[in-house]
Order: sequence, then C-alpha cells, then structure tokens
Amino acid sequence: MGEQKSILIIGGGISGITTAVEAAEAGYDATIVEKRPYLGGRVAQLFKYFPKLCPPYCGLEINFRRIKQNPKIKFYTLSEVDSISGAEGDFKASIRVNPRYVNEKCTACGKCAEVCPAERPNDFNFGMDTTKAIYRPHDMAFPARFVIDEQACKGSACGECVKVCKYGAIDLDMKPATVELNAGSIVTATGWNPYDATRMENLGFGRIKNVITNMMMERLSAPNGPTKGKIQRPSDGKDVQSIAFVQCAGSRDENHLPYCSAICCMASMKQATYIREKNPESKVYIFYIDLRAPGKYEDFLRKVQSDENVEMIKGKVAKIEEDGDGGVVVTAEDIVGGGKIHQKVDMVVLAAGMESALKGNGLSSIIKTEDSGFVISEGQTAGIYAAGVAGRPNDVTNSVQGATGAALKSIQSLVRR
Amino acid sequence: MPENTVITPDIQFVRELKEAGGDTLKKCYQCATCSVVCPMSPDNKPFPRKEMIMAQWGMREELSADPDIWLCHNCNDCSKYCPRGARPGDVLSVMRQKVIKENAVPGFMGNIVTDPKKTLVALAIPFVLFLVVLGLTGHLKIPSGEKIVYSEFFPIRYIEVIFISAVALTGISYLISLNGFWTKMSKQNGLSYTKGFVPALTETIVEFLTHKRFEKCEVNADRKTGHLLVFYAFLGLLITTIWITYYYYVPKIHSPIPLSDPMKWLANLSALALIAGVLILIYNRTKDKGVDTKNSSFDWTFVVMILLLAVTGILTELIRLAGIASLAYPMYFIHLTFVFYTIVYFPYSKLAHMGYRTLAITYSKMTGRDVM
Amino acid sequence: MSESKLGVYICTDCGIGESLNIEELQKVAKAPICRTHPFLCSQEGAQMIRDDINNEGVNKIVIAACSQRVNYDVFDYDPLKYVTERVNLREHVVWSHPPNTDETQAMAEDYLRLGITRANKSEPPEPKITDLNRTILVVGGGVTGLTAAIEAAKAGSEVVLVEKEAELGGWTRKMYKVLPKKAPFTDLEKPDIDSRIAEAEGNDKIKIYKSTTIKKIAGEPGMYEVTVETNGSEETFTIGAIIYAIGWKPYDASKLDNLGYGKYKNVITNVEMEELASKGNISRPSDGKPAQNVVFVQCAGQRDEAHVPYCSAVCCNVSLKQAMYVRESNPDAGAYIIYKDMRTPGLYENFYKAAQDDEGIFLAKGEILGIEEAADGSLLVEVNNLLLDKKVTIKADIVVLATGMLTNMLPDDYEVNNLTPEYIGTIAKKETSDGIIEELEPVPISLNLAYRQGPEMPHLKYGFPDSHFICFPYETRRTGIYAAGAVRHPMDALQASADAAGAALKAIQCLELTSQGKAVHPRAGDQTFPEFRLESCTQCRRCTVECPFGVLDEDEKGTPQEHPYRCRRCGTCMGACPQRIINFKNYSIDMISSMIKSVEVPDEDEEPFILGLICENDAYPALDLAGQNRIQYSPNFRFISLRCLGGTNLVWIADALSKGIDGIILIGCKFGDDYQCHFVKGSQMANERLGKVQETLDRLMLEADRVQQVQLAINEWDKLPQILDEFSEALKELGPNPYKGF
Repeated sequence: MGEQKSILIIGGGISGITTAVEAAEAGYDATIVEKRPYLGGRVAQLFKYFPKLCPPYCGLEINFRRIKQNPKIKFYTLSEVDSISGAEGDFKASIRVNPRYVNEKCTACGKCAEVCPAERPNDFNFGMDTTKAIYRPHDMAFPARFVIDEQACKGSACGECVKVCKYGAIDLDMKPATVELNAGSIVTATGWNPYDATRMENLGFGRIKNVITNMMMERLSAPNGPTKGKIQRPSDGKDVQSIAFVQCAGSRDENHLPYCSAICCMASMKQATYIREKNPESKVYIFYIDLRAPGKYEDFLRKVQSDENVEMIKGKVAKIEEDGDGGVVVTAEDIVGGGKIHQKVDMVVLAAGMESALKGNGLSSIIKTEDSGFVISEGQTAGIYAAGVAGRPNDVTNSVQGATGAALKSIQSLVRR
Repeated sequence: MPENTVITPDIQFVRELKEAGGDTLKKCYQCATCSVVCPMSPDNKPFPRKEMIMAQWGMREELSADPDIWLCHNCNDCSKYCPRGARPGDVLSVMRQKVIKENAVPGFMGNIVTDPKKTLVALAIPFVLFLVVLGLTGHLKIPSGEKIVYSEFFPIRYIEVIFISAVALTGISYLISLNGFWTKMSKQNGLSYTKGFVPALTETIVEFLTHKRFEKCEVNADRKTGHLLVFYAFLGLLITTIWITYYYYVPKIHSPIPLSDPMKWLANLSALALIAGVLILIYNRTKDKGVDTKNSSFDWTFVVMILLLAVTGILTELIRLAGIASLAYPMYFIHLTFVFYTIVYFPYSKLAHMGYRTLAITYSKMTGRDVM
Repeated sequence: MSESKLGVYICTDCGIGESLNIEELQKVAKAPICRTHPFLCSQEGAQMIRDDINNEGVNKIVIAACSQRVNYDVFDYDPLKYVTERVNLREHVVWSHPPNTDETQAMAEDYLRLGITRANKSEPPEPKITDLNRTILVVGGGVTGLTAAIEAAKAGSEVVLVEKEAELGGWTRKMYKVLPKKAPFTDLEKPDIDSRIAEAEGNDKIKIYKSTTIKKIAGEPGMYEVTVETNGSEETFTIGAIIYAIGWKPYDASKLDNLGYGKYKNVITNVEMEELASKGNISRPSDGKPAQNVVFVQCAGQRDEAHVPYCSAVCCNVSLKQAMYVRESNPDAGAYIIYKDMRTPGLYENFYKAAQDDEGIFLAKGEILGIEEAADGSLLVEVNNLLLDKKVTIKADIVVLATGMLTNMLPDDYEVNNLTPEYIGTIAKKETSDGIIEELEPVPISLNLAYRQGPEMPHLKYGFPDSHFICFPYETRRTGIYAAGAVRHPMDALQASADAAGAALKAIQCLELTSQGKAVHPRAGDQTFPEFRLESCTQCRRCTVECPFGVLDEDEKGTPQEHPYRCRRCGTCMGACPQRIINFKNYSIDMISSMIKSVEVPDEDEEPFILGLICENDAYPALDLAGQNRIQYSPNFRFISLRCLGGTNLVWIADALSKGIDGIILIGCKFGDDYQCHFVKGSQMANERLGKVQETLDRLMLEADRVQQVQLAINEWDKLPQILDEFSEALKELGPNPYKGF
C-alpha cells in the first residue's frame, strides 16, 4: 500500500464531523472543509435535541475532543471547495481559505470586541441581535477564536482591535489562500439551510414581526441566544403566553419544497416543551397535516400530547394576520373538530423546512443531485458519497448513522486503490 | 351493520371527474389550505376540502346534494395556494357540471348537453327541427322582396310554437331538477334554519345584481367584470325578448324595428356587452393558467356557444342592414339555432348554475353559513 | 517511568497576573522547577517548557493557565512519556471571581495544589498491545446482515456471517416488490436481495453459516470465542468484533381482537399480503375470488400502549406499496388505506404522491370501528372517516392489517409493552438468608454472551438494544458489538443498509483502536486500563454488577475477571469498589483522596467550604462557559473533575468530611430513560451510591444533606450560580462541619 490518501469531507456540521472522527479513529486521514468560522453547523444553533431534550453541545464537546486529540483529522474553517477534478482514489480539490483576520495567537480574551466600533447583525442568532465586527461566532464556538466580518469591519483605517491585542493575533491584511488537496474519496456533508420563509406570502413572515421561524425559536430559547433564553415576542418583548406552530411551512408543498423535511413535527413538539417549561401558563397550538413522529419518537408525541395546555389541530394554517395589539391570528380548518378556527396568539412559529445547502452550488457537475438538490447515491460519481441532510432530509441520529456509513464507504474507496 | 351505509366508492365517477378536467383531484392530501384561503368558504363546515375527499372517494350522491360546490365562484385562490397542485377550483367546476348532469330531467338531455363531445348532436337537434318545420311548411327558400324581413322566412308563429313549447318543457324539467336538488340538499345536510326562504332568496338576488360575491376573489379579481357583463347582457336580452313580444301583440309593431327604437338600443347594447363579457372571460382563461381555472372543455363549449350566439346575432342584424338577402336568411337560421341552444338547453348547460347557485346560496343564508 | 520530575508553569496572561498574587502562588508549587510566563501559549512560552523537558528532564508538566479545552495543541506532550496536568486558573478562577481577594487567591492556590497532587500521583499508562483477531462476525443474514458483511469485506475485513434460517435474505426475500430506493422515490423496485446473497456468497472474504445458531460468545473485542451449532454439530472459532443484525418480527395480529385476525380468513397481515402478491394475483384466502376491494388498516397495534406503543415507521409506505399491488393486479379494484397520520417522511413524500395519484387508491384518516363477515365471505369494515366526518362501511374482499415491527431481541411470548428493565427476562423469587428476594433472570435469545451481566444486549425500552441514542447511535453497552438494522428500531431496507455500513465501520474501528491498546468512544484513544489488586478483593461483586458495559465477569467465588478490551475507561468500577483495589495509572482512588487532602480548608469561615466532584465531559465545560461569560459564583467551592461521576468512590466523601469540608456537591449528567451520561449509567450509579452514603454519614454523625448530586447539562452554565448558592445556603442552615479543624 502506497501513501494513504485523505478523505475530503465538505461540511463540518454534525454529519461531517462524525464522518471525520469515525474514519480517523479507524485509522484513515480526514480533512474537513467548513464554510463557517466554526465547526458544528446547524446543530450548534439548536437549544436542545429531540426527543431527549439534551443540548447538542454535549455530543459536540466529545466530538471536538476527538478531533483535538487525533492528528489524522485536519480541518479548515471559513473555507470552501472551489473545484474538484480527478477520479476515485485520486481527486484533486481546490480549497479557498477565506481570511479570518485573526491568527492562532488569539486567546479569545475578548479585548478586541470591547474596543471595536463597528457592529453587524448576528447571523448565528438570525439577525435578532448584533455583534461587533470582530466577534466570537458563539459562546461554545470551536475553534475558540475570534473572527472579523470583512463586510462590517472598517479596516486598517480603524485598527482599534489591532492596538489592544497584545498577542499580535489580528492581521487586517490577511488574504484568501488556496489549498490544493489530494483526496481518495469525498464525502458531501453540506447540510441544509432553512427555507426562506418570506416566500410564503400568506404566512406573513418578514411582514408580521411576531411571526418567526423554528430556527429562530431555537435561538430565542437558548441561554446564549438574543434574549438569554427568555421566550419573548419580538415586537415588544412581552413574555409569550400563547403560541401557534405552523407545520409544513414550505415543506410538502409543490410551490416551495415538494418533500417532507422529516424533522419539523418533532422539532415543533420539542419547542412546545421549551415554552411550556419556561412560561408555565402558556398555551400551545400545533397545526399539522400529519403528525410525523416515526418509530420510537411516538413516545415523545404521547408525552407532549398529554400536556393539556398543548393542543394539536389537524389542519394547515394558510392565513396569518396581524391583530391590533401585536397579537397574531392564524386561520386553519380544524378538520377533525369541524369548522374553521381563527386562533389569536402572541407569537407564531413557522416550521420552515430544510433546503439542501448544495442547491445552486458550483460542484454539481461532479457531485450529482436529484431535482431538489439532495445528493444521489445510485449513479453518483465513483468515490463521492453523501452524509446527513446533504443526502436527504434527516434528523440528527439518522444523519450520524448515515455519516458513519459514509465513513466506511469512503474508506472502501481508499482501500480499493 | 345496516346494509344502506355500505359505501362503494364509484371509481367510474372518479374517472369521469378526471376526464372532465378534474384530473388533479387525486393529488389532494387534505391539508385544508383551500378551505382557509377561499374567500367564500364559511367557518361552519367550510369547503372545498371536504368536497375534495368526497370526489376522491367517488361519492356521487353526496356531491350532487352538496350546496357548497355552488358557493364556489371559481376565484381559484385555492388552486394558487394548494400545496399539492390539486386545483380544487377546477375540480369544483367540474363537479358542478357533473351535478347539472346528474340532476338533469330528462337524463339524456343532461348527457347530450354536458358532454362537449356531443355538442354537434345538441346543435343538430334545433337545426334539423327547423329544417323540417320550414321544409314541411314550404319556407325553405330565400324570400323575395326588397326588404329583408326575417318573419317572411321563419314566421313568428312557428318560432313561438317551437320555442314556447320547448322552453315550457325544459323549464318544467328545470324546476323538477331544482326541486330535487333542494330536497336532497336540505335532507343530506340537515341543518336547522335561522332565516326564512323568501328573505334569504331576496338577499341572494340582490347580491347577484351587484355581483358582490365576486369582489371577494383575490387572485382572480378580474372575473367580476366579465361575469357581470354577461349576466347583464342576458338580462338585457331577456327584457328585449319580452319587449318585442309586447310590440308584436299590443301596438302591433312588427320587425324589423328601426335602429332608433329604444328596444333596439337595449338589444344591441346587450349583444355588445355579451361579446365583451365573453371575450374578457376567455382572455382571463388564457392569460394565466396558473391562477385561473384550467379549462374544462365543458366550460369552453359554453363560452364558445355564447360567443357564437352573440356574433351570429350581430351578423344577422348587420347583414340585414347591408341588404344581402342570400346571406342574411341563412345567418338568421344559424342564429336561431344558437338561440335555441342557449334558451332551451338552459337547464343542462353551464347557465343552469344560476338556479342551483341561487338555491345553494339561499340555503346557506337560511342555515347561517353565509360569509357575506 | 524512570524518575519523575515536576515542572510547574504559571501563565500570568488573560487577567491571571492582574488578579492573583503570583509570587504567593509560586510558593505553593514547591516544585523543582516553577516558572511564570506572561504569555505561556506563545511560541516562546511553549519553547520554555520544551527546553525544560529536553534539558532539565521534566516529565510531569503542570500548566497553570487556561482550560484544558483550549490550547490543547500548544501543550501537547506524548502521553506515554509525560504526565500533563492543566490547572484552570483562567476560566475557573479569575474570570469567575473578584480579583485580588483572599478568597480568590486561596482558590487559585488550592487549584494549583490539586493539579500538582494529581500530577504527582499520575504515571504514564502502559498500553496493552497484543495480536488481535480482526474477523467480523455478522449475526443475521437478512438485508442488514448481508449488507454489513459485504461492506466490511469491501473495506478489507474477513467476515463470518451466521444465519439461523436455511436461507439468507430474511424478510426481504419474501417480498414481492420493495420501496423505491433511489430518486425520485416514486416507483416500486424488484428486490435486489438475490444479487446481494450471490455477492456475499461469492465473496471469498465472507464465510457463511446457514441454519446455524450461536451457542456461546465468550471473551472480548479482538478475541471472542464463538461457538456455533449447525444441524447438531458444534464449531468454535475466534473473531474480533460483532455486528448484531438479527432484525425484526411482526406483531402477533391475533392479539388485536377487534380486527378479526384469526377469526375471518380474509383478514390478513401486511406480511401475508407480500406472499399473496408474490403468487401473482391477489385473491381472497377464503375462496380464491379475485379481490375487488382491499382495506388496509394502519397502526394495527402500533401507537397503542396496549399493544405496540411506538410507530413502526415503515407501515405507511408498505401499505401504499401494497395498495399499488392491488391496483396492478386488477385495474378496477379499490384499495383503501385508513390511517391515523400518513407518515412518509423526507423524500418518501414523492412516493405518497405517486400512490395518491392512482384513482383506485382511497386514503382517509379514520378509525376502524369494527369488522364483520358478510354471508358471501366479504368483510364489512366500519370506518369512522374523519375526513368525511362520517361513519361509513366498506365492503372489502380482503382486510390487510399493517402490523408493526418488533425487534427480534424480544423473545416470543414476551409483551413488548411490559418488559423487565435493562435485561429482558423474568422476575424469579429466590429464597436467601435475607428472606425471599426478587431476582431478574435474563433470558437468552441469540447472542448467548458468556457475560456476567446477562446473555444478551441490555435494552432501554421495548426490547431495542440500548445505545447512546442521538449523537452516538452505535455505542451500545457491549464494547465490540454493534447493532444495525431493525433490531434497534423500526426501519426500512434502505435505512437498514446504510445502518449496516455504519456498524461495519464501527466494528473495524473498534479493532483498530483495540489493537493499539486504545479505548473506543467516548474516551477514544485513552491508553490506560484499570488495574485490579485482587489479593484484597472481598468478592462483593459491586464492580461486576455496576460496570455499564459488562466488562467484568466473575469466577465462581465472585472475584472479578478482567476483560480489558471491553473496558471504556470510565472508572465506574473504581468508584464502586469499597476495598479501593481498582485504579488506573493516572486516575486512582488514592489520587483523588490525596487531592482532597491537599486542599487547605479554612478553619473559621462564615461561608461553608464545599468540594465539588464534577463530570469532565459536561460540567467542566459548563464551568468554563460560566467563566467565559464572567458569571460570578462563590469562591468557596473546589472542583475536582472526574472521568465520569460513576467513578465517585464513597471514601472520598468520608475523606472530605473528615477534613472539615462542609459539604460535597456532585455535578454530573442527567440519568434515567433520557440519560445524557456518555457512559450510560455512570451518573446513575453515583446517585445510587449516594443513597448508601447515609451509612457513612451516620458513622460520622453528619447530616445526609451535606452531600448532594445535581444534574447539569453542558449548556446550563447560567444556572450554576443559583445551584451553588442554594447548596451553600442549605449547608449554612446545617451549620459548620463539626470535624473542622481536626
């Protein structure tokens, strides 16, 4: 056996991380290329996982430790794969490493952010608050280093951060770099983006302040979120005492996402527990087409259903209107109960679906996808595999299972050569 | 389990609906988006979600007694927002056609008129009838004389005998159909009344005159203008018909009536309104297939017939004024065929919806399910 | 290790220098080498340490700076040569306490003492490296097992596959068609199981035993001795790791008495429907008349606590598939699916759409009110059709019950909704000297493990093998044995195939790590092993009972028998042992005891002085985050991190209390059904032990409330001050520890 080639993993979310550590612990080299300035992807933004209601960082922490101690794993943050050529066993990937403007000397002491005069909307919290132009992506970000948003930074004309950083960790002249990587196989773990909820005009997102998305609800509930974990409605900060979850906001809809996003029913039930725990008097209404709690998740559905302040109504919300006092009225047909209901609530959460993050990506000539942008397996370029939501809408545990399988498949590609 | 509750979904009925233009009906997965976005749909027992499952399950009987398909004004908000592309607006439109047919008395007339493939048969009936009548009475020739006088060719008496007897027959059939519909509808739904028939009916008719309901349509608001023009055109033509009959018998003024006569104004205005209205409807149908109803061939047949009715009417008049006898009389003959189609077939054509809709809206008002 | 030489390095950056008296701190160190540096993680700082290692022979390195969770790459020294200890002065001291106070200084000094003691009491591990067998045993020859075997072989492994039936292929072989497996997920496919069987049989890396059952599996990863029996003859061989793919079985439909199965011939299950369809035409079992109307009853037992409490995940798709069979067999036939919720998640929505489009497939949310047989043999199915808001009766030729999947871990005649906890078995009443006690007798099913804790995999609920569900679904409670497919939760063949590949990876990975003497998840790479001083063992069996992973067996006297390669290094056995005979080279009872003893407990103080034993995986990072967010909490706590709270030995409680410490708080992970403990049972074991601490406290004449365990998740750092204050307040009520000052 000659020199062992690396496995290139595109995406450093839970699936990409899993593929990397599982392959590396089996003795193979793995390289993660992550677009964001931190590893952990979407799950890093979640407050809790269903159905155990445990924090994603519990598992991420262990995985980060596995990465830290394993020399077989390399990772690039703020990086994207520009192009891929070659074939199974001998892919050549060109990776663009975007500047962080902060080098490895950073101790994350935070002095820089104290003096930085510029602000940016905090994308980690979906714009519900702001950070300085030099910022730590979030509390538990790994790697624990600051980063500069070049859009927001005033540049070397300002240079306040450079002056206070006694470690010389800030380099405002950092330039993008290109890394050429030779890989034996490629695992696409590009994950998903929340579907753009403004595109559903009848649901009022973007127009009505107290209509938010399910991912925003995660941040609103998290102790390190914009409200420090208080579930308050965005318009006036009032504690939310009634909430409506609108299922299939974009999913199972040919005008938007034709497929089912597989997780939203469970996610909304989970979020129902957030508000029921934090605001004990609150009333929850979940409007659904079909309640999809497959397999053992049924227990969780039963648990949430047994809460008498949680009402589940079969009927899709197709109209959301603002009420005078900041309240929001949702309209649906209660199919089983009979008749249309116009429920007034403090806040509405749209269970927005998952859209493949690979959609519109320039790698489609080599990484083949089906119509909705999910990576196919049959008929795929040899040596290219998918893990997690890049392959199809999935929850975390199924993504991890798939990612572990993808690790084996990518090892097979190395062994074959 | 009593035998009478056994349902046998009628696959044949499902197929009929699909063939007639409701081919999307199976796509519905019962999310009830349609019931919510529909501006006509009441809170109590909203539609068209339940109509979609009835259609999927082939429930012919239940649908033919359902008032709600008549509350639909084909705005198609439902079809725009339907996440499955099931196009409830189209399906309901096809259902209405099916119910007209189901309730038709005699049944074969419903068969002939509602089936677009049989349009030629439907037109052939008056055509042959007129030929036979004119042939037997020796009128099958271009009358001589300087002035073109249509009654020379087709005497008024013949027209009266043919039309009055035909209209009487089908009118009675129509009343029987509507009565049957009312009985089935009130029996099947069994709702209690909060308002009497007469006040409800009065309200309904006032609404028709103003076309207020159409204003509720959101995505397809233009429909109001077209439908309003056609509605008033027919009203105008009805008045014209009564008027000319009055002229004929009371002051004994016989056609041709001079263009300066107010009756003629009304007649010509109505004809033009009819053409304009139909053209708007046709335009709406073609411009945006995503929003407007997909064209069931039943609907197409009807608009084409109405257009031909109006165009032949205008042509009959124009050619007469131009004095081309050889063309004028045949045109008159053709026009009469379309007049027959429109008036006599009223209970079986799209126009039949007037009665059904009136009753359905009246019923919804009486049972407190009205959204106006 | 030859001679140990300690080097202590104090970083004064990140606020440490400004908040603490460094000179005083240096005095505490009492080490041969003790240096400070203004920026220890800089190149110069790191070089300073390297120089000492190279020139001064320092081999125990104490770095008093930031959290061990950062700069891990800067302070990285070969663990087989050096002991590295990180004292967290930054996050745990100066960032979360006021600068330049006596209390903060005392805290820093204690933490330095703790770190130095830990380093002094640690030795680099000596990994156990032996030649291992790397063959993978696959138990079960259905679609999961076959796929696992093929995938493992493709990655270079030798495989032995054992199937108890005479034929391979499992349920899939009985299927007429299978669900779509590729985009756009709309068309049924012919099962490819025959080609998979041929592929496995033709692969010279895969050895297949059919009609074979496992009599016994003994040993540990890399050296399992497996005895199998084929038609009466036994054979024993060695394998390295195991993929557990014994699959599923349908729920017994005759238990659903309102649905007429067993009573009416034309009521069949979805499994029987496959057989019917495979025969070519779908006709009534009673008289062979071709079926005109077929009703599918969804959730025939599933989602019902009286039968199968969970959802079987695949039945909606299966019934849609079988409705297509009905339509294919007779274009005028009607297929009715009565469901609670249509569950066709993800891209299977496309399949739902495709089936829906068929004019002869009628779907409705509804409830089955009853099924009766008519005189002509057809069935009258009374349905409350909730979509039509109407009760209707459908006249059906065949009723198909979409019965659910049970794991094959469940022995026949055991109820899925009423199983004994942890190990499936029966409760037997045993007469002992203490009277009649109830004891669980686990029942053997398929693996026949020669493990002290039981012959099969522990289950959590409904008979599915327990695993660290969500983040680490392959981590079962038996190291080296990885479950895959429908044995672990209901899934379709596509998912089972992906699962099989994952399990194959885990088996290969386990052998790779084990061959290097390294632990598998969650302490992957750890090269330590517990060492047993058996001469002092009293055969109390606590270690063999409490180990979450069933590592230890017993000889006939009850002395533990080690199986180091099964070990996950959590130290639960160490915590369990009253004789203190189980220890690691770098993690021992004496080490923590000495650390506790090295703390300087103030003689007189208004505020209670408290020891915290914390989980290093979650509670430690939570403390880091508290510091990072500058959350302030009482400086009278001293936290000692443990690999897992399961390692808590009660002797430490006694040590702490007898030293005059007022109270002890254990901060660890959530336990119970939704446990978060990475070692599954660790925090629960600690809690059970604390239940017994009363005895110790009584002996010391102390209140039980002085010891408390709290469950804290990694992201609950914001709750820490309140938790700590409440405990402190409670101790204040109790008054100071009377042993203070002794």
